[in-house]
Amino acid sequence: MNNNMIKITDLEKYYRTEEVETIALNKLSIEVKEGEFVAVMGPSGCGKSTLLNILGLLDDADGGSFVFNGIEVAGYNERKRADLRKRNIGFVFQSFNLIDELTVFENVELPLIYNNVKAADRKKRVEEVLDNLKIMHRRNHYPQQLSGGQQQRVAVARAVVNSPKLILADEPTGNLDSSNGNEVMQLLTELNEKGTTIVMVTHSEHDARYSHRIIRMLDGHSVTENILI
Amino acid sequence: MFKNYLKIAWRNLWRSKSFSFLNISGLAIGIAAASLIIIWLLNEVSYDRFHTNANRIYNVYNSDLNDGKIGCWNTTPKVMAKAIQQDYPEVETVVRVNWPQQLLFTVGDKKLKAAGNFVDSGFLKMFSFPLIKGTANTVLNNNYSIVITESLSKKLFGNEEAVGKTVLLDNQDNFTVTGVLKDIPTNTQFDFEYLIPWSYMRTKGWDDDFWGNNSTNTFVQLKKEASLASIAPKIKTLRSKYDKESPKMETFLYPISRSYLYGRFDNGKESGGRIETIRLFAIIAIFIILIACINFMNLSTARSEKRAKEVGIRKVVGAEKKSLIGQFLGESILISFIAGVLALIIITISLPYFADLVQKKLSINFSDYRFWLAGFGIILFTGLLAGSYPALYLSGFKPVAVLKGTFKKVNALVTPRKVLVVTQFAFAIILIIGAIIVRQQLLNAQDRQTGYSKDNLVYSFLEGDIEKNYSLIKNELLSSGIATSVTKTSAPITEGWSNSWGIEWQGKNPHDKTVIDRYCADDDICKTAGLQIVQGRDIDLDKYPTDSLAMLLNESAVKHMKFTEPLGQIIKDNDKDWHVVGVVKDFILKSPYRPIEPMIIEGAAGWFNVIQIKMNTIKSTRKNLAAAEAIFKKYNPNYPFEYKFVDEQYAKKFDNEKRTGKLAGLFAFLTIFISCLGLFGLASYMAETRIKEIGVRKVLGASVFSITRMLSKDFLTLVIIAFAVGAPLAFWGMYKWLQDYPYHITIEWWVFALAGFTAILIALLTVSYQAIKAAVANPVKSLRTE
Ligand SMILES: Nc1ncnc2c1ncn2[C@@H]1O[C@H](COP(=O)(O)OP(=O)(O)O)[C@@H](O)[C@H]1O
Ligand SMILES: [Mg+2]
Repeated sequence: MNNNMIKITDLEKYYRTEEVETIALNKLSIEVKEGEFVAVMGPSGCGKSTLLNILGLLDDADGGSFVFNGIEVAGYNERKRADLRKRNIGFVFQSFNLIDELTVFENVELPLIYNNVKAADRKKRVEEVLDNLKIMHRRNHYPQQLSGGQQQRVAVARAVVNSPKLILADEPTGNLDSSNGNEVMQLLTELNEKGTTIVMVTHSEHDARYSHRIIRMLDGHSVTENILI
Repeated sequence: MFKNYLKIAWRNLWRSKSFSFLNISGLAIGIAAASLIIIWLLNEVSYDRFHTNANRIYNVYNSDLNDGKIGCWNTTPKVMAKAIQQDYPEVETVVRVNWPQQLLFTVGDKKLKAAGNFVDSGFLKMFSFPLIKGTANTVLNNNYSIVITESLSKKLFGNEEAVGKTVLLDNQDNFTVTGVLKDIPTNTQFDFEYLIPWSYMRTKGWDDDFWGNNSTNTFVQLKKEASLASIAPKIKTLRSKYDKESPKMETFLYPISRSYLYGRFDNGKESGGRIETIRLFAIIAIFIILIACINFMNLSTARSEKRAKEVGIRKVVGAEKKSLIGQFLGESILISFIAGVLALIIITISLPYFADLVQKKLSINFSDYRFWLAGFGIILFTGLLAGSYPALYLSGFKPVAVLKGTFKKVNALVTPRKVLVVTQFAFAIILIIGAIIVRQQLLNAQDRQTGYSKDNLVYSFLEGDIEKNYSLIKNELLSSGIATSVTKTSAPITEGWSNSWGIEWQGKNPHDKTVIDRYCADDDICKTAGLQIVQGRDIDLDKYPTDSLAMLLNESAVKHMKFTEPLGQIIKDNDKDWHVVGVVKDFILKSPYRPIEPMIIEGAAGWFNVIQIKMNTIKSTRKNLAAAEAIFKKYNPNYPFEYKFVDEQYAKKFDNEKRTGKLAGLFAFLTIFISCLGLFGLASYMAETRIKEIGVRKVLGASVFSITRMLSKDFLTLVIIAFAVGAPLAFWGMYKWLQDYPYHITIEWWVFALAGFTAILIALLTVSYQAIKAAVANPVKSLRTE
């Protein structure tokens, strides 16, 4: 198919606390191609979120290699990672993670501000996205005034407003009922169809079926991969 | 981006109102208190720096070896000015200024007293006191010209033009007003309402050429190109050429811009002076700002759990650390700006009271751009100082940690927050201890036996015809029952105006140059002032006509002169032989903080300035004074009857210490108050974050008391550590302060106990309110907020 967007090899991540050392990722190797929609599954504590954080350049690996768009990024410092992240990657979390003090519009606008987009362009882009996701009428509401499904739609809007190449979603439907969940999965599928690469962690086999490929993890390892298409 | 920051800052403020209130009010009080101090200190340091030639003007000082110590003082012979002008080409002008003098001004029916100086005609050219009318070069050229200030002109002539008008001074000579001065500012060592040319003194025969009469202030202005270094070694030996009596006495020039702040000498060297007070209060100002900033830091970082999520999200969507630092600094500057506006209101309202407290005329010049510059400077400084630590702290959060919810606040043994609380309370405790000790020292000095009776004792100065009609006045005061005793003296009983090392007695060591206080009283001094006679008798002219040459000694004098049999001794002073008729118990003539010095009281052959009246207590003081006024009016019709109460004058000796005590108390209170605002906020956040824990504990059976104790314990530990840090520092500082007073208290342990107890109690009250609130809350509620 296409080029590799992500290629990680023998990735390792440890968490050290005073008493114990946890191996969260144990020589994990996976690849994700441009335009793919990949689901990551596995029991709680097997390292899915850790993997996503590293893919999203939020966290450092302790060993192994991570090639993003053909560039080795393992060992990047925080500033370089932040720079790469804000231009390329969008996030969707289980718990929405909207800023309570900002309105829907302002929350979605945030990535554009940090990418130094001009105010007029920002307005256009945000309105476009809100329109697409059918939450335009809520633009001046604060997150607490919205239902869970609406909040997650705002979070998705925020993740895509910057047209990132990659969207990372950590249990995006975890806090939603099934109809709201399906709506969000629909959104992600549409985005993927327009060319955005998506890596999604999920516990739901139903949601996983929206993807092209399922990576199953156990104890920081990738065990199997099911190709769905 | 900036707008976005401002927006979120504003909403944050609005959303957490109680946090914002604590933060802003703490900062506002801190900024206001520090600003008041700064306004005061700026006034102090600007003393006599506003003269155009300020850096070329010097006050002439003498220095002389006495008793193995170098003494420095700034009264010079009147002739010295001429010698300086003649002998040193570096000198541009020399100006003499004699002691301030109260004169009676008469214009038509109007009579009033005003204080001013006799000055050489160059005075207004040397010093920059602007004239509204007249020119500086000529206004003081005639013997009978007078320059008055605008407000004196108003009092004398209303709105009429003063220049050209005539005033009668002290019922003796007519003067013509030649100039009107703008009222002189408060930040100068001079204090006059009129200036009269020195040449008038010459016409009256008050000028003299004696090198031994050190009685006037002399100021020198050097030429622009001249340097102090070149003239100093030459002028040092000035007296060797002219002064036959003390040729070895040295002369030096001291910059006027320093004399107010630094002009205190100890053994020939500058030894502090007001600058010490200024440094002390500058430190206090800085600390108060710091303490208010610490509140801000503590409250902001305590709220970090709330802000952590926002930081995480912003980072995930692309924020860099530096833009987050910018955001948080922006917030703190916004808060400090609001606090600054509030502080300005507080300052405007409280400035008159504060000015009253420090006994200065202080005002804010709102049209001065420097005021606004300083104001914004302080706001910016405070905002940056307060915001820097929270900004670094909050912006450092790792998004992974905070968003995953694994973010836990650190509960280390030593955290910056704890250090900050300790700093705050240590400073508060130091101020409390300081305030108590200053107050103790004050009370102790006030309690000291004066050795005379201040009650019902009033005095008046011998003005106009009082001295001439003295015996008539005295008789009438006594016969009409107003007074029980009347005595004429050289000075008020609360002031020593004269002393000498030239007094001689039998057996005096010829090298003894100890200065002995000299006082004169014509008659009945022991009765009038209530002095206690230890040996012999009071001076009594009625019974013993030779008592005009009688003398009383105080006990210290007897001891110093080593008399075993003081009565009957002959003592030489001013070419007169005085015979000792009595010994009085030591009494405080000058400072209640110093040991009492040897003193002699000379009889009616001495010189007199004051009439002292012991009131009869049968009638009320008001009636007595009204009756006395009638008598004085009769014998001295041209002067208003003015009198002073000795007890009030005595109380003035404590003004400085009272002021220091009040200021220390005020700032101790403010520090405690601001610190408690912060503590209150911290405690409420602590209760909030532990609400679930408290709920669980209660469900498991914990009592309200045990939960309150658990929540308060941490804070109390901090206050106790603060005490351990602050108490030794306070001891050290106050010990040094007390050394300035030869008569002083010893520091006692209970002061520390009291201060520590107070701080702990206040902290406990502050914290326990929140703790109890959390402890009595229904656990079902808190546990449901899952
Ligand atoms: N900050 C951390 N400190 C210590 N251990 C951690 C931390 N984050 C995750 N872990 C551990 O790493 C392992 C993987 O965690 P995570 O990636 O969150 O799993 P998942 O998302 O698959 O449930 C778990 O055992 C977890 O306990
Ligand atoms: Mg997870």
